[in-house]
Amino acid sequence: MNSNLAAGLAMIGAIGPGIGLGIGFSKAMEALGRNPEASGTIFVPYILGLALTEAIGIYCFVVSLILIFTT
Amino acid sequence: MPIAADSLIQVSIKAETLFTIGPLQVTNSMVGAVLASAILLGASWWFLRGASLVPSRFQSAVELPIEWLSGIVAGSTSRWRSYVGLVVGLFLMILIANWLGVLPGVGTIGLVKETQAGKELVPFVRPAAADLNFTLGLALITFVVFVWWAVRLHGPIGYLKELAGEPRYMAPLMFPIHLISELSRLISLSMRLFGNVFAGEVLLATMLALTTAVVFVLPLAFFVPAVFLGLELLFGFVQAMVFALLTMAYITLAIAEQQGGHAESDQGDHAPSGAAQDASAPAHS
Repeated sequence: MNSNLAAGLAMIGAIGPGIGLGIGFSKAMEALGRNPEASGTIFVPYILGLALTEAIGIYCFVVSLILIFTT
Repeated sequence: MPIAADSLIQVSIKAETLFTIGPLQVTNSMVGAVLASAILLGASWWFLRGASLVPSRFQSAVELPIEWLSGIVAGSTSRWRSYVGLVVGLFLMILIANWLGVLPGVGTIGLVKETQAGKELVPFVRPAAADLNFTLGLALITFVVFVWWAVRLHGPIGYLKELAGEPRYMAPLMFPIHLISELSRLISLSMRLFGNVFAGEVLLATMLALTTAVVFVLPLAFFVPAVFLGLELLFGFVQAMVFALLTMAYITLAIAEQQGGHAESDQGDHAPSGAAQDASAPAHS
């Protein structure tokens, strides 16, 4: 019971990466809107940035999974 | 609510053992990994048998995404030919392993085992990346390769100097930080892939369980898992892409730090010729 509560609380940490992903995506779209020809150049750093941001959310998820499944 | 053993949502965080050969425990995620590599090997063998210099329509359709990815890799450093195979291979392997997970029967067909907690389904095939061992293995390959590149180009002393950082008196502080940041790449690469694929599995199982409960009232509810299956196709592609691109970025970082210094000193350098650039250029646009 307590570990499930803790797992739920751990997912609060997904708020930050969520905001970060939103900012990254909106900036990429902004850049694409200003300069549509640059889509090839933007794509790789964009995917890498999103992946690095998302990793933080995944850490929270893994922590809560460990709390649910191993206690 | 604890997850009951007889609930509809049955996802276990570690791969279940199917049978043992001596000391080797064959888990269902190993079956998934072997299946994915068999598909990859078989498909590439079959594809190369019919490949010609003037591509048919099917051949160019298969080659287009691969050429696009190698075009991205070709833009990273001048030594791209030495690691383009690794990056594209990682991409294809993870892509196939992820897309295996959305096939019908994967994760749902299996043996029912009696445990002390109750009945438990042990699927025959589990998507390989939903097991931390598989993703950690791939991340270890990446880790060894980019450290090897750094050591090869800088020398072991140069690599240690790189870890120690620029102002030498800060080395006692910066060395552990750089060491941890190198190791954290290993952790984050493996955890990202595992977390995403496993989250996808949990999501699919949850959606299936939720909709089977209401499907007698609303027959249309079967479309809800279908939507999430489509989403899983997208996520599987993106995660394979991310893993391959991060591998490329780490190798590029390990190499490119050298290029300001004496890049031309290495004799095993495959500088991209004009023809090689042209070959990948049309797909890159």
